[in-house]
Order: sequence, then C-alpha cells, then structure tokens
Amino acid sequence: MTKVNTYTEPELVQLLRQKEEAAFKYLYDHYAGALNGVILQIIPEQALASDILQEVFLNIWRRIDTYDASKGRLFTWMLNIARNAAIDMTRSKAYQNSQKNRELDSNVHIRSEGSNPSLDYIGISKVIGQLKVEHRVLIDLAYLKGYTHEEIAKLQEIPLGTVKTRIRAALLQLRKSLT
Amino acid sequence: MQEYIESGSIESCVLGLADQAEQQELERLCAAYPEVRAARDAFEASLEASAMAGAIAPPSSLRDSIFEKISHSTSTVSTPTAAIVEMPTRELSSAVGWKKYLAAASVILLAGSAALNLYLYNRYQQSDSLYKDLLAQQQQLAENNSKIQTRLSELKTDLDRIKNPNFQPIKMTAVNNTNSLTTVYWDKSSAEVYLLVNQLPKPEAGKQYQLWAIVNGKPVDAGIIDVEPGDGLVRMKNIPGAEAFAITLENAGGSQSPTLTAMYVLGKV
Repeated sequence: MTKVNTYTEPELVQLLRQKEEAAFKYLYDHYAGALNGVILQIIPEQALASDILQEVFLNIWRRIDTYDASKGRLFTWMLNIARNAAIDMTRSKAYQNSQKNRELDSNVHIRSEGSNPSLDYIGISKVIGQLKVEHRVLIDLAYLKGYTHEEIAKLQEIPLGTVKTRIRAALLQLRKSLT
Repeated sequence: MQEYIESGSIESCVLGLADQAEQQELERLCAAYPEVRAARDAFEASLEASAMAGAIAPPSSLRDSIFEKISHSTSTVSTPTAAIVEMPTRELSSAVGWKKYLAAASVILLAGSAALNLYLYNRYQQSDSLYKDLLAQQQQLAENNSKIQTRLSELKTDLDRIKNPNFQPIKMTAVNNTNSLTTVYWDKSSAEVYLLVNQLPKPEAGKQYQLWAIVNGKPVDAGIIDVEPGDGLVRMKNIPGAEAFAITLENAGGSQSPTLTAMYVLGKV
C-alpha cells in the first residue's frame, strides 16, 4: 500500500467540484478502504457494505458542492455520509428481516455486544474496544447503530441524563485514545 | 474555552452525534477561537488516521462499477435517476433538541403549577375559615329566629285569648297608691283565668305576689304570680265564679289568707 498524497485537500476539493475524474479516482484509491472499514463496523457483510460504499462515493461525487471546508475536513464529511448511509441500511426493512435469523432477541443482542463485541479490533472499533464497558456500549449504540440518546436510555434502562453524561465521557476517552 | 474543549461537544459534532444547535455553536466557536478550531482539527486528524489504520480494501470490481456510473452520469449531463438520499440523523437530533425545550417547558409548568397550588390552597383555607364563621352566624340566626317564632306564637295565642269574646277582661286598678295595674282575662264557662301584668313593682326578696278571687265576700287563692317583665298572659288557677279579683304581696310561697294591708290592685267583675 503505497499511497502518495499528490493533492492538498483544498486542491482535491477544487478538482472534484470541477468533476475531474482523475481527482475522484485518487479520492477513491485513497479513502475507499478506510470508509469500507467504517461501514463494515456497522454492516459486517462485505456484499451489503459494497452496495453502501458505492452509494457513498456516488453521493460524494454528486454532492461535493455541498461540502463546506469551514465546517471540517473532507474525510469527516465523507465519514459521516458513510456512517449515515450504513445506519440507514440497518433501519431498512429488508436488512432487518435478514438479521432476524441471526438475532434471537434485539435486546439480548444489544446487551451481549456490550461485554462481547463481535467487531474486529481494527481502526476506530479498536479504539472503541479500549473504552470502559459502560462507555463502549453507549458509543456502539450511538455511533455504530445510530440510536438517539432517548432510544439508548430506553434500551439500556438508564436515565437519559446518565446516557448523555456517559457519552460525553466516552467521547473524551475516545479522543485521548486516538491521539 | 478549555472547558468547552473538554466538554466532549467537539467530538460529538465531528462524529455526527450532535444536534443542529450544537453544530452551529461549534462553527461559531471555531471561527472565533483558534484553540477550539485547533482542537477540532486535531480530533478530525486523529479520527482520519484511525480510520486509515483500519482500512479494509473493498472488492476491486466495485471501483470499476463506480467509475462506470460516474462516467455515465457526466456524459448524460443530468441524472434523473440519481436520488440523493438525505440522512435522517440530523432530523432525529433536532427532535432531541425539541424535546429538551419541551422538558424545560414542562419543568417550568410544573413549578408554576406548584406555586399556583400553594396559592389556591391558602385561598381555600381563608375561604374555609370564612365559611365556618358564616355557618356559625347562620346557626345563631336560625336559633334566634326559632326563639322569635316561639315568642310570636305565644303572643299570637295571647292575642287570640284577648280577642276571644268568651274571655271577660277585668281591669284591676291600684289601691294604696301602689301605682300598679293588672288585667285578668276570665272565661266564666270554662273557669280559665289568665293574668296580664301591666305594671307591678318588683317584689322585694322573699316576697311574692298572689292573686285572689273574691267569691261570696271571701278570698280564694288563685295562684302565685311568678312573672318576669314583658311576659304575656299567665295561666292562673281555675275560678268558676267570683265577684272580684285582687293581688296582695305575700311571703314567698303564698299564704292561706291575704294580707289586706299589702293589697296592690283590685278589680270588680
């Protein structure tokens, strides 16, 4: 894997806005693996993850004009598109039906993952895996499953205030682990 | 600003977990404070590095598939089939923001309601005590009314007797300068005797007035007079026949025969 950064981020964005396919190919070659890794943490089946990844890159291509560099890095923007697309998939009826055979009970599923994560320990999930259990469960539910704080409070049967406090604490822990 | 940086808000926004208000606050603070901007950049960079470290190459066929679609879309200028999927997370989060305000509003409403309850409870206690006072007053008035009714009824009975033609009024005037006046109402047919004390001096202690009927020149006891000022007709002993009536002052309990020197009034039939 020899990835040479040939563009600065503003140059890359500029070229993407001009619909330069070469720039887009660079973007794909550079980031497809990272985004695929993130999607796989949410949808752990490569066939489905590939569908999402394709949708994500097509969205990046079409919606590059909506990217605002003052709001954050290009990768952050792409990461959020990928995460949202993957979470949308988990909410689709077809996906939920396909998962029913694998899950006896959604509550058992969520609880058991807290102490026994099924994810591979790579990248972001490796960092998440290093968190304390009560933090890890909440980040898993909030970030990888896209639950709202209210939904998490209900699922975990803990007060909403506690959910918010723990997520904040978990995020700070996450930052320390990443740096 | 250090407090904000340590609040977890930056991470929450970057990871797409924050609501719109939080996102806007971060944008504002990033523009105003370089240290906030630096903290955000640092977290984003570490996030990217971490994702890069966890990269998993997608199937190589995917690359061709995507570029085929892109080339197609650029050549056909517009892409009617290209449905842009709006991500729902923000909407969900803004609903969360809404609920925050709703929760705050309900707390304020609860506090307001508690204060109102306290106020109304005080008002209720005031009203309750006032009501009890009024109830007592009303009871007093009812008792007075009942007394007045009784008195009125007595007076009406007295008046009926006075009006009754069977009753003969016998005016008994003062003797011995006693400045007294009484009236006997006598029904000869039934022998009933009623006395009305118009005026009599208050008897001294141990003394009582006594009514006498004069029958065939001899005094007959017609009863002890035990009246308060203002009383109406008082029933005395039955007297079937008499020529006159008289009242003397006797020792308490009455006498067998009248003390003629202590006669106060006399009235002939």
